Amino acid sequence: MSSVLEQIEQQIAQLSTKAVKKNTGHIRTVADGVARIDGLSDVMYNEMVQFPGGVIGIALNLEEDEVGCVVLGDISKLKEGDEVQTTGKLLSVPVGKALLGRAVDALGNPVDGKGPIAATETNPVEKIAPGIIVRKSVSQPLFTGIMAIDSMIPIGRGQRELIIGDRGTGKTTIAIDTIINQAKINKVGLASGDPKFRPVYSIYVAIGQKNSNIVRTIAALEAAGALEYTIIVSAPAADNPANQYLAPYSGAAMGEWFMENGMDALIVYDDLSKHAVAYRQISLILKRPSGREAYPGDVFYLHSRLLERSARLEGKGSLTALPIIETLAGDVSAYIPTNVISITDGQIFLETDLFNQGIRPAVSVGLSVSRVGSAAQIKATKQVGGKLKGELAQFRELAAFAQFGSDLDAKTKAQLERGARIVELFKQPAFNPIPIELQVAVLFAMQKNYFDAIDTKQVVAAANSLKEFFTTRKDALLTEIRTKAALDKDLEAKLQAALEEWKPTFNG
Amino acid sequence: MASAKKQITQLAKQFYKLSFENGVLSADRVSGVLAYIEKHRPAHTLAVLQAYHRLVAAEVARGQAVIEHAGPADQASLDAIAAALSKKYGRPVTATAKRNDALLAGLRVRVGDDVYESSVAGQLAVLGAAV
Repeated sequence: MSSVLEQIEQQIAQLSTKAVKKNTGHIRTVADGVARIDGLSDVMYNEMVQFPGGVIGIALNLEEDEVGCVVLGDISKLKEGDEVQTTGKLLSVPVGKALLGRAVDALGNPVDGKGPIAATETNPVEKIAPGIIVRKSVSQPLFTGIMAIDSMIPIGRGQRELIIGDRGTGKTTIAIDTIINQAKINKVGLASGDPKFRPVYSIYVAIGQKNSNIVRTIAALEAAGALEYTIIVSAPAADNPANQYLAPYSGAAMGEWFMENGMDALIVYDDLSKHAVAYRQISLILKRPSGREAYPGDVFYLHSRLLERSARLEGKGSLTALPIIETLAGDVSAYIPTNVISITDGQIFLETDLFNQGIRPAVSVGLSVSRVGSAAQIKATKQVGGKLKGELAQFRELAAFAQFGSDLDAKTKAQLERGARIVELFKQPAFNPIPIELQVAVLFAMQKNYFDAIDTKQVVAAANSLKEFFTTRKDALLTEIRTKAALDKDLEAKLQAALEEWKPTFNG
Repeated sequence: MASAKKQITQLAKQFYKLSFENGVLSADRVSGVLAYIEKHRPAHTLAVLQAYHRLVAAEVARGQAVIEHAGPADQASLDAIAAALSKKYGRPVTATAKRNDALLAGLRVRVGDDVYESSVAGQLAVLGAAV
């Protein structure tokens, strides 16, 4: 009780007796999450306005005779004639490590029932992206734990890599696996006491999704022990479109706090297709002119200003973005997908056909690319996986050709066999990221033809056996691969010896 | 629908501009505009009148300072406030006093969209929101 009294006394002491100027207006109409206001002559674009009952809004349409505000709260409390005030502030959200392990809404209010968040700082939701001079090129890897991605479409810290595909192709799974992998790496790295180790904190922004999906995602992260390094920003489908529109920017503000304070963060926007739809709804209600597919003219800017905030900064940290876009019938040439593809530094394309064939993750190696490329790979991965993309490309070409006849020369047959084995090797169950050192060991085995004698259908079982062998009996070797991050002659010899030891144990 | 609304707004603005004489809202001109509307009945007359009313009311509010006070307020203070506001806004502002005991003490002055709050009730509201 005495602390409550102290708090009140502090507030009284800070209270100014000077006249305070406010700029006001009155609600003319309120409908569909938007209030049209008479007055507010001094309001600025994107300024926070205060409605009665503690409801806030943002001024988005500054017209000659009225102001259009999106209402971020319970609109049912508002009525015509209510007084509205400007606040002189831009919308800000709480930021900091206090949000880790918590689920919040687009305004930073907790929605997980775990009590208030003790955040001491706030960041504006809308912020201009870092300029050219302060940026640093991407050279540190961000391991997703998914072998197909880390070996052929590597992602670096500070990169924007789009995950694109039809519904039900495993886009969210890739993002969640990446978050879980960061948590696993964090635990190992922090336990090692290495002063140079930089943990990666994650932010998962759920936009327009079902509440049940969001709950399932949180449960998966919690079960994997990843929630303590993750912030969940939730703007489900039941939320008003204004909150769905703001949620990615709020998440970016939280991620920027880590970046500006010398830490690395990963942010997943799931998904930006629904984000564009929410923005379209707001724009149409605000009577803004509509363009292609009824989207407003600045829908490109909606995503470009969001994704440009992800960067690697000189002398500070980084913010890596994994935006997700859902396509319809695999059409990557649609409006929003092409917009976001042109903004990001590469894409991971997931195909329904591959998914249905059992190739999961259903990554289309031919259409996927990372524009950062091997600059974001450790040397060991380049050594064992450098040729994989080319081998798979040859395999795809030959596989189509081989359907026409069975008279193939030995070299073609060998390439087909090898390609089929590589495809099998890259199959990976969901929520099961593989540490990079283990990936190196498996790919080394593939490179040295240890899987050639194994039947194609047994490759997955063989790989699992190999992984278990290395995890349980060659932990020191894996640690050496992880710390050295490159395969010298000594390490190659040790790997070869380990593989020779493993070979007779697998009866495939 | 959208074009009708645009027409209404444009017409109301034209009438509003015609209501000024030497940069000041003129009662005679307003009467003249109303007489014209009565005689010629443009399309969407009611909507045009309502839009015109909003514009004129906003202009009147900009030239008028409503000074809400709790307890007695002398004319000299009201005149001083009006003079200060006229200087601040660069246009003539007339003061109108309105008693409002809910303020407890102090003043609240409203000029157009601007509200100058120095009442005790206002300060307590700020304190309540902060705590």
